[in-house]
Amino acid sequence: MTSIAAMNNWFSQRMQRWLAARVPAVSHVRLDRRNIFILPTGPGLLFLAATTLIFVTAINYILSMAFGLAFLMVSVFLLSILYSFRNLQHLSLRGLGAEPVFAGQEAAFVILLEREGERAHEMLELRFPGQRWSHADLLDNSESRLSVFLPTAQRGLVKGPRLVVQTRFPLGLWRAWSNVDLAMQCLVYPVPVAGPLEGHVLASVSGKSEASLVGTEDFHGLRNYQAGDSLRQIAWKSLARGQGLKVKQFVDNADDRLMLDWAMFPGLSSEERLSRLCYWVLELDRGDIDYGLRLPGLEIDLGRGDVHRRKVLSALALWNGSKGGQGDRSA
Amino acid sequence: MIEARDAIPRISLLWLLAALLLLIVPHVVRLPVWVTVLLFSCMGWRLLIYAGRLGFPGKLLKISIVLVALPLTVMQYGAAGEGLDTAVCLLILGVVFKLLEMRDRRDILIVIALCYVLAMLGFIYTQTILATLHAIVCFILITATMLSLYRDDARNTFKDNGRLAVRLVLQSIPLTIALFVLVPRVSPLWSMPLPVSSSTSTGVSDEMTPGDITNLGRSTELAFRVSFTGDAPANEALYWRGLVLDFFDGRTWRRAGSTLQTYQMISRFPTDFRGVPLGEPVSYDVIMEPTQQSWVYSLQLAEVSARDMVQDRNYSLITEMPINQRYRYQVNSYLQHQTDLQLAGTQRARSLQMPEGDLNPRTSALATQMRAAAATDIDFAMAVLQHFRELPFYYTLTPSALGDSSIDEFMFTTREGFCGHYAGSFVYMMREVGIPARVVVGYQGGEYNPYEDYTLVYQYNAHAWAEVWIEGEGWVRFDPTAAVAPERITLGVETFFQDQPGFMEDAGFSMMRFRDTQWLNTVRLRLEGLDYAWNRWVVSYDENMQMELLGNWFGDNARRGLLIALVSTIAMFFVLAGWFLLRHGKVTRHDPATRLYLNLLKELARSGVPRQRGEGPVDYCSRVAAQRPEIAMQMSEVTDLFLKLAYVNKVNMETLQNGSNADFRRLRLTCRQLRRRLMTPLRRLLAGARLVP
Repeated sequence: MTSIAAMNNWFSQRMQRWLAARVPAVSHVRLDRRNIFILPTGPGLLFLAATTLIFVTAINYILSMAFGLAFLMVSVFLLSILYSFRNLQHLSLRGLGAEPVFAGQEAAFVILLEREGERAHEMLELRFPGQRWSHADLLDNSESRLSVFLPTAQRGLVKGPRLVVQTRFPLGLWRAWSNVDLAMQCLVYPVPVAGPLEGHVLASVSGKSEASLVGTEDFHGLRNYQAGDSLRQIAWKSLARGQGLKVKQFVDNADDRLMLDWAMFPGLSSEERLSRLCYWVLELDRGDIDYGLRLPGLEIDLGRGDVHRRKVLSALALWNGSKGGQGDRSA
Repeated sequence: MIEARDAIPRISLLWLLAALLLLIVPHVVRLPVWVTVLLFSCMGWRLLIYAGRLGFPGKLLKISIVLVALPLTVMQYGAAGEGLDTAVCLLILGVVFKLLEMRDRRDILIVIALCYVLAMLGFIYTQTILATLHAIVCFILITATMLSLYRDDARNTFKDNGRLAVRLVLQSIPLTIALFVLVPRVSPLWSMPLPVSSSTSTGVSDEMTPGDITNLGRSTELAFRVSFTGDAPANEALYWRGLVLDFFDGRTWRRAGSTLQTYQMISRFPTDFRGVPLGEPVSYDVIMEPTQQSWVYSLQLAEVSARDMVQDRNYSLITEMPINQRYRYQVNSYLQHQTDLQLAGTQRARSLQMPEGDLNPRTSALATQMRAAAATDIDFAMAVLQHFRELPFYYTLTPSALGDSSIDEFMFTTREGFCGHYAGSFVYMMREVGIPARVVVGYQGGEYNPYEDYTLVYQYNAHAWAEVWIEGEGWVRFDPTAAVAPERITLGVETFFQDQPGFMEDAGFSMMRFRDTQWLNTVRLRLEGLDYAWNRWVVSYDENMQMELLGNWFGDNARRGLLIALVSTIAMFFVLAGWFLLRHGKVTRHDPATRLYLNLLKELARSGVPRQRGEGPVDYCSRVAAQRPEIAMQMSEVTDLFLKLAYVNKVNMETLQNGSNADFRRLRLTCRQLRRRLMTPLRRLLAGARLVP
């Protein structure tokens, strides 16, 4: 690491620490003079340059009214500080969290904006640093909800970074902003990756009964598509391979139970295994089958339904080595 | 493809076009016709792009427009050498061309910045009230354009933008005025190319061919305005001296050589060459209209302190630069004075110069004959005036044309002329017999504006008279015109000429035509007075005036006082504007019941029983009951109702608002009664309107 990068790093760490102290992380932040910052924008500097030009011309040609114009511009420039500031002041932000997503998808953090005073708030712009902007306003409504997006790369519990709330209202001469940490988190599941269950692995369910499952990669487990089959069960991969429309078929209908196991995908890295498991969880969830999950150091009993699925996916998202603890990773 | 965030809202474009149109209109009179046509076509094109009828012009077209327009502009103006006009024209063209390739926010922001500069450019040519109002309207339009770039669609309407822009400007005006008064004015940083406007010079010229000055008699344009400290001298004393014309070639009077080169400045002469002031000076303040000439007018004998002005050997006031803007100067004049008691050799030679050849023998003979008959030079001069008075000489604005022997023809044949004829012939006769004499051109008289207490001098006041050097007296003023038409001097030219056909011929429908209609004349003088006050106090506000004004406020420490005042003004602006703008934001919304209760608390605090910090409603109620037993009953009722409404069962807001909740109605009534009881009579009176159910 070069010395400049080191310094940048050091600086940004200091900045983060300072911000953390000044604008602490809480789920509800009210913007006021303690946490609103304000600086001129590029157009603001351009405006000042025009003002300077007019001022110099006024001096050189001794034009009283040009002085007047330059001073009017200065006054408007100064006044708009107050307008910009006022546009953020007494605005409160509440982080409502984000729906879990699969790694690689964009997490949408939902923010509730409320006005605490009687003023309208116009043209509010919010984003996570470096991401795309979301717009909101509070004109006649006293609260407004909006989503702020953050791309995810890795599974885990992603902590939303500091949120930038800014406004350039009214003239774009100033940017009033605040960096708020709404302590929001988003659960990121592993990317589902289709993969065959090695051979006809019979996973033991609770050590007693067994269930078998046909892998999608095997012709054995695919049957031709028939009208009325769920689209979800179509084997898109075989279709893509030019093998016609096939439907994934579960063999053992008598005993709709399957224990998904870490050991089902030998020879793969742990992330790859989690991705395969994730895929199968989704498949099984659609397939009307009771399923469970067994990871090193963690076991989830058989079950089905939304709650169960979330529980299993969360476990996949948060699995952290053999300890099985609640892994907390930043994206 | 332009991202939505960078796209220009459609409404911004309309605002911008409106602003540009308004900005350009006053320049149209100065711009070449083809430029005007080009400007409007470009704006029209942009409007069509907006409407979706046309696309953006191709690269080739854009380049060719620029390649044709730029050299053409430079060529057009280059010949006349008008640097500033060229710059203005190029800037306007540049802004309008930019319209045709303005695609995203960055482009429009550049155009907006240039528009502000354009708004300033108008002031180079004129700084009247009207021009200022025009600039303010333009400023509002440009600001609205900028606003429209940063607003939510719901509020991005003409009405909302316009209203907010007007509000921003109005709220900025107090600070603007403070800055205008307080920001230290400095001298020009570097010398600028002279903004010689394309209009030719106006006013009295530095040449006089008899017949010339009559043209001025037709013009009702203002020459300058004077305000005297104290009473204005009588009309017949108002000889506004401009230039001395001492060279005569037989037809035309002109200055002997260019002033600054040939003439030494009076300040370099020994004191005895300066005028000798007698008596008290008259002091006055002149605001001159631009003339594009570098001399100004004053009453003889003038004393000036302005740094950019000198007095030449003939006591004319010469400025450093041609006057291309309204120009203000202060003069002290000693109406009683003596000048040049000793006439230097070169001066004498100049004042005796005669044209080559003997073109006017009859006049020469007449002069010689009259001088012989007179005892002294003064007697001779008086005799010549007498000659003008007694023979049938006419004072007219439309004299006949004269041939080569112009003096003879005038003196013996036509015998009609304007001031130039009389002054020229008079000086000619003096010089003929060896008396130093010269022609002086300037203005005579003026119109007094009683509403603003100042005098207006118009172009039709232009005049020419003579100065004769008399042994022991120095230069003495003789006005032969006064001998022919004394009313011209005493009553003023407008009264004298009001029925003459040529007078005010160029005035058109000017209000000057209606000076006989009393009320219209009053309106005219009032408007004129307003314009004068504007010029005197606003447009002419400069370093000197600033120091004068601030000297009154801060005494000797004007500079430091200025700085303190400036800083405190800006600070005060922020405090006041901040309070004004931010105060509403702090209001926390209470439900109606709490509001009633809190209002009551305010009244109780005023009457001397404030609630303590952290004191609950019940505790407070009992304390109020103890201190003010007369309201104990009502207070406890209010407290009960308030607690019930606000805390015990959170009632539906709507039932409170539409009055269908009985508890709330009861609370409202009791609170109102209680507040009335607590109020002092005066407050009850003031609040009466608000409390009436």
